[in-house]
Amino acid sequence: MSECKSIRDLLVLHFEGELGDEEDRSVTAHLSTCAACRAEAEDIRTVRGWLSDPGLFAPRNDYGWQMLPEALAARARAERKFWLPLSYGSAGWALSIAATLVIGFGLIYWAGSRADRPVAPTAVMAPVAASGNAAFLGRMYAAHARAATSEYLAACQDLLVDTLRAERNCDERKYDVSAEVTRARDLLHRKRLLDPELGAPEVARAKELCDELEGFLLNLSLSEKCESRDKLLRMEHYVRKQQLLLRIRVLQGEL
Amino acid sequence: MSRVQKGDMAAYRELVGHYQAKVFRVIRSFHRTPEDAMEVVQDTFLKLFVARDTWEHRTSFCAWLYRIAINASIDRYRRSDKGMTTSLEDMLEGQVEASAVCRRPEDPLEQVSATERRRILEDAIGRLPARQREVISLRYFGEMQLEEIAQVLRCPLGTVKSNLHKAVIGLKGILFGQREALGYE
Repeated sequence: MSECKSIRDLLVLHFEGELGDEEDRSVTAHLSTCAACRAEAEDIRTVRGWLSDPGLFAPRNDYGWQMLPEALAARARAERKFWLPLSYGSAGWALSIAATLVIGFGLIYWAGSRADRPVAPTAVMAPVAASGNAAFLGRMYAAHARAATSEYLAACQDLLVDTLRAERNCDERKYDVSAEVTRARDLLHRKRLLDPELGAPEVARAKELCDELEGFLLNLSLSEKCESRDKLLRMEHYVRKQQLLLRIRVLQGEL
Repeated sequence: MSRVQKGDMAAYRELVGHYQAKVFRVIRSFHRTPEDAMEVVQDTFLKLFVARDTWEHRTSFCAWLYRIAINASIDRYRRSDKGMTTSLEDMLEGQVEASAVCRRPEDPLEQVSATERRRILEDAIGRLPARQREVISLRYFGEMQLEEIAQVLRCPLGTVKSNLHKAVIGLKGILFGQREALGYE
C-alpha cells in the first residue's frame, strides 16, 4: 500500500514526462500490476485532457479583441513620446537628468525670490474669504464638469450615429468614412483635454462610459478612408452589444 | 521581438496578435471578470513595449512576457483594491483526501456539455491556491516547460513540480466531487 502512495505521488509528473528513466520505469511497472493505481492514473489523464481544452478561459473573439493589436500599437506609438528614454541609451538619460536639474534649480531660485517679497495685503485677507469661496468654486467646477462631459457625450453620440449610417460610396463596394475618422481623432484629443473634468465625482459614472468610448474612437481613428461593409457591421455590432447609444442618452439625462 | 526592439510597429502588432490570447488565458483565472483580464492584457503589452530594450535574447521570451503579465495582474489588484478569488485550500485538502479513497468515477464531466464543463473547470481553477493556479495557467494555457515556469515564478523547479502535482490532484478532487452537484451518483 505504501508503494501505491509513492507511485501516486509520481503520476502527474509521469504524464508530464518529468520523471527520470528509473522512476518512470517503476511507475509503468507498478501500473501494469495495480488496478487501483491504474484507475487513479486514468483520472489524472482525464483531468489533464480537460485542461488541454483550447476553449478553456478563451477570450471572446469580438470586435474589440480583433482590433487589440491595432489599438495597442496606436497607444504605444502615442505614449512612447512621453516615456523615459529607455531606448535612447546613456546620452538620452544624461540629457534627461541635466534637464531635470536645470528645472529643479530654476524652481528653487524662483521660489526663493518670491519669498523675499513683502506680503501683499490681499494675502492676509485670503484665508477669511477662502472658506466662503471654496464651496462656491466647488459648485462652479462641478457644473462645468457636467456641462463639458454632456457636450462631449453628445458629440460622441452624433459621431456614432453618422458612422453607422455611412452611405457615401467609395470604389469596390466600400464606404467613405474619412470625415468620421477625422472627427474621431478630434474627439480623442478632446477626451484628453476633458480628463481633468472627468475626475470630478459628479461625473464618475460618465467617466467610465467616456473611457469605453475612447476605445471605440481609437479604433475608428485608425480606420482607412474607405472601409468595407464588414468592418462597419462589426462596429455596429459592438455599439449595439455595449448599448453605447442608450447609455449615452441615460447619462445625459443624469447630467 | 528583435524588430519590436528597433521600434517596428508592424512587428509589434504582429506580436500582440500572436500572444494576446495566450496572455489572456494565462491571467484570466486571476481576475473576476473577462473585462479585468482584458485590461491586464493591454497593460501587459504596453509595458512590454516600454521595457522592450530590457529583454535579452538569451532569455526565454515567453518567460519574460508572462512575468510582465503576472506583475501587471498584481498591480491591478493593488490599484483596484479587489480581493483575490477565494482560496479553497482548506476545503481542497479534504477533497484530496476523499478522492484518494474514492473509486473510479464515471467520467462525470464527460456527460455534460463542453460549455458547462469549461465553466465548472474554470470555476475550479479559480478556487485553487494562487501559486498552484499560476503553475496550472502557465503550464496548460501558456504552454510553458516546467523550467521556464520556475524562471517566471522565480522559484525552484522542485516547487513548481510539487505545485503542479497538488494542483492536478486538487482539481481532480473538485471535479470528480462535482458528480453530486451535477446529479450523478
